Amino acid sequence: MRLNDCDPSFKHEIARQPGGEGIKTCFACAACTARCPVGSLKPEYDPRRLLRLAILGRREEVLSSPLIWLCCSCQNCSEVCPQDVRCTDVLTAIKNLAAAAGYAPPSGQAMARQLAAHGRLLEVGEFENDKRAELGLPPVSEQPGDYQALLGLKPEAPRPAGEGA
Amino acid sequence: MHNRGPRRVGGCLEEIIFLSALDKPVLIIGGGVAGLAAALELDRRGLASLVVEKGPNLGGQARGFCCKALEVCARCGACRVGDLLQQAAQRPALGALTQALAVAAQRQGAGWEVTLIPQEGPKPTSPALALERPLGERLLVQTGAVILAVGHQVFDARKKSRLGYGRVPGVMTAGELEETLAKGGLPGQARRLAFVQCVGSRDQALGRLYCSRVCCGFALRLARLARYLEPGSEVTFFHMDVQDYGQAWRAELAEMRAGMRFIRAIPGEVRPGAGGPLAVFAGPDGQPQEEEFDLVVLATGLEPPVAAPALSEMFGLTPGAEGFLTGGQGVLVAGSAGGPRSIAESIESAAQAAASAAEHLVSGQAPSPEVAHA
Ligand SMILES: Cc1cc2nc3c(=O)[nH]c(=O)nc-3n(C[C@H](O)[C@H](O)[C@H](O)COP(=O)(O)OP(=O)(O)OC[C@H]3O[C@@H](n4cnc5c(N)ncnc54)[C@H](O)[C@@H]3O)c2cc1C
Ligand code: SF4
Ligand code: SF4
Repeated sequence: MRLNDCDPSFKHEIARQPGGEGIKTCFACAACTARCPVGSLKPEYDPRRLLRLAILGRREEVLSSPLIWLCCSCQNCSEVCPQDVRCTDVLTAIKNLAAAAGYAPPSGQAMARQLAAHGRLLEVGEFENDKRAELGLPPVSEQPGDYQALLGLKPEAPRPAGEGA
Repeated sequence: MHNRGPRRVGGCLEEIIFLSALDKPVLIIGGGVAGLAAALELDRRGLASLVVEKGPNLGGQARGFCCKALEVCARCGACRVGDLLQQAAQRPALGALTQALAVAAQRQGAGWEVTLIPQEGPKPTSPALALERPLGERLLVQTGAVILAVGHQVFDARKKSRLGYGRVPGVMTAGELEETLAKGGLPGQARRLAFVQCVGSRDQALGRLYCSRVCCGFALRLARLARYLEPGSEVTFFHMDVQDYGQAWRAELAEMRAGMRFIRAIPGEVRPGAGGPLAVFAGPDGQPQEEEFDLVVLATGLEPPVAAPALSEMFGLTPGAEGFLTGGQGVLVAGSAGGPRSIAESIESAAQAAASAAEHLVSGQAPSPEVAHA
């Protein structure tokens, strides 16, 4: 590894992201790695190593790595971390930067399209609306326009009276 | 430095008379290595002092530590306690009161008037030395200077519950191993030993950001001694990095590295295994790994003394950065009460505190307050 290949501003950039604040306090103790359920299934996945690479400034290597998308956000690492790094949140911040840089995996991109178009990833049908009625909640209807408005993709659509979202 | 009054004591007769004429001994609170070393240094300078110890015995926490020498001295400092007690016993001018607690202090000119009360507590663990006289009743002491040598508190390993202390059989603290080895050997059939470093130190989640400085040294020396006593035993040393104690230590460390397994990771969990505690840690390839040991030893760190807030208030001191004690006008701090210190460092700081106290007595001026973590 050469110093010229490292970008010292990368860790600051991560720290500026919501959730990324803790990255600079990591001591590399590996308590997170020890407790990571993904690591025990996928040998290459090592949260300490990802954080080290990020701190060293290996921007491209980290953002383009398919490994960062394997974090299952179980928070085991945050719980054991003596330095309060909140490793899960730091990885989320890294994923956000990766997505902005165009590295989101195809499945993630498909989900984003689904979310923008329908406002949710799971279809809400009769079954869900029956359950809502039992609980005294108004039915949810498919109003993609609402979500596109929320996302700033479309001006807000006038909604029919009495309809929930 | 000041210009008023005689400057140094050592050997100057006029000065000794001058100081004893003050007839206000230096009050030393805490009778561990630091308190004893301060009393001896003052004695060497011809100054009377009174050591006030809340427990039944003098010597402090290091009293139960084991000598970590193999064939030659390991320079661990454990034997210094006995030396200090022996020297103190030979100095009649040196007074000590055990089972005594300072509860109030009032400014009197450049000195203090301190109220001591008897402290209920356990009876002495070993036969009392002539020096160890329990305080009978409430006592007022007028003193020209005070040395705070109340030591540190050891981190309660139960607070790191994932490491299993108090829950998983076979997990013990390094302090407990000190005492076991001092009594002559490893517990039971323990042959597979693991040491976990920085327990309660360098831990932002606990609000303990500092390194305790002494635990790398005592843990590795304990490990080496354990291997020496039980030649078949194997040691795994879980750490982040190892403190550097200087040139001689580096040579020692190189030998230790050759004989023990150093793993640069702190276990995320210790749980009961079939035949002993099972540690879960990141292996060299960055993969979670499990391994069973006979004994997992936690190198617990040094915390500020319990008495720090009360003493700070009593003497009007500003609390130090990490909660350790800092000095003030006519109040000096010695030993681990002022920050994590080894036995040798505690003795050294005590000599400094004694010198500053002597200076304060002569000048009535404030010596520069000690900086925590110096
Ligand atoms: C597990 C462990 C192992 C260690 N091993 C080593 C080693 O091998 N080598 C080494 O150099 N260092 C070692 N250390 C560090 C060592 O313990 C300290 O350097 C040493 O004890 C400091 O001495 P002290 O006199 O400042 O404090 P202490 O030993 O804590 O003595 C303070 C004394 O003050 C008394 N006291 C407290 N509060 C009051 C009060 N309010 N009024 C009156 N009296 C009071 C206490 O009862 C005690 O007797 C170890 C530390 C730990 C935790
Ligand atoms: S547990 Fe925390 S301090 Fe330790 S390596 Fe992981 S993120 Fe860093
Ligand atoms: S001395 Fe060693 S074990 Fe103790 S806190 Fe510092 S680095 Fe950790």
